[in-house]
Amino acid sequence: MAVDTNMPVLVVDDYKTMCRIMRNLLKQLGFNNVEDAADGAEALEKMQSGKNFGLVISDWNMEPMTGFELLKQVRADEKLKGTPFIMITAESKTENVIAAKRAGVNNYIVKPFNATTLKAKMASVLGDF
Amino acid sequence: MPAFDVANKIRDALEDLKAADLDDPRLMEVLSLAENLVDTMKMFFGAMDHSVLDEFKHIGSYIHRTREEIAALRPNDIHGSRIPTAGAELEAVVGDTERATESIMTLAEDIMSLEATDLETYKTQVDTAMMQMIEACSFQDITGQRVSKVVATLTHIEERVSRFSEVMGVMDADTPMTDKEKWQAENLLNGPQIDGPATGQDAIDALFDGETTEEALGQDDIDSMFD
Repeated sequence: MAVDTNMPVLVVDDYKTMCRIMRNLLKQLGFNNVEDAADGAEALEKMQSGKNFGLVISDWNMEPMTGFELLKQVRADEKLKGTPFIMITAESKTENVIAAKRAGVNNYIVKPFNATTLKAKMASVLGDF
Repeated sequence: MPAFDVANKIRDALEDLKAADLDDPRLMEVLSLAENLVDTMKMFFGAMDHSVLDEFKHIGSYIHRTREEIAALRPNDIHGSRIPTAGAELEAVVGDTERATESIMTLAEDIMSLEATDLETYKTQVDTAMMQMIEACSFQDITGQRVSKVVATLTHIEERVSRFSEVMGVMDADTPMTDKEKWQAENLLNGPQIDGPATGQDAIDALFDGETTEEALGQDDIDSMFD
């Protein structure tokens, strides 16, 4: 089934510039329906408000709620647990990658990254587009 | 009055009593005994006075040296000038990079939204935006200089603190973490590594594609530390 590029995508990052970069990269990839949140708590609130996000792309290091905690909360929520989730971080210690995978992350991107990497990881999670 | 002087005074008093030519021989014996006792006390307190004096001299010299070393640290200069300046420089670096990123990103977004109907106009607009992007990149020179000043400050402090610690023979004390520090240590990652990511994107891809296992990924990581 073809990927619906009009689906809402939630970008979670406490660095506004990164949200803007993601918005531009996603726009280049054809995804124009992008929302952002400054931390896990704001993201969770947006997700629980009823909007059906087709993908969450989240940073790990955020306060007060980290991306990892957001991932665990999403996977524990009956309504949200199936939401595709990609983690993007500047640190990639093996134990963190493994912890994220065990918590149910669908893919993991190490910063800095480019549009090609982002597209490849999104395609591996959503299917080709 | 030092104990040594007190003993001398008692001895003098005893000598005066003996010179008084008292009749009772037992009193003379008592006085001789007391004289011996005073001599012994004099030797004992004399030795003790020197040892205490030496100890105080040592403590005094240690305090003096500590004061000199603390003065050499120039704590008022570090606290009042160097640290605030370094903080201001870093804030300026963040501001400079943010402004430059903002400019470059806005220009890029403008270029992407251009209508390429008239090629000549389009080229002029793109060229102008590109020149502005190049100009915006000049922030790197300024931030480079600012960061160099911060590094110099850190080196200055590091050298003085190390010297102080070495001269004073200071051992690191255990300081308990605050609640915020504990939360950060347990929940946040350390950020980018100096020599690139600990686990490369290829290794992570292999894990998610099922081409390797968690154990193998971990082992490679351990192996790379010993290679």
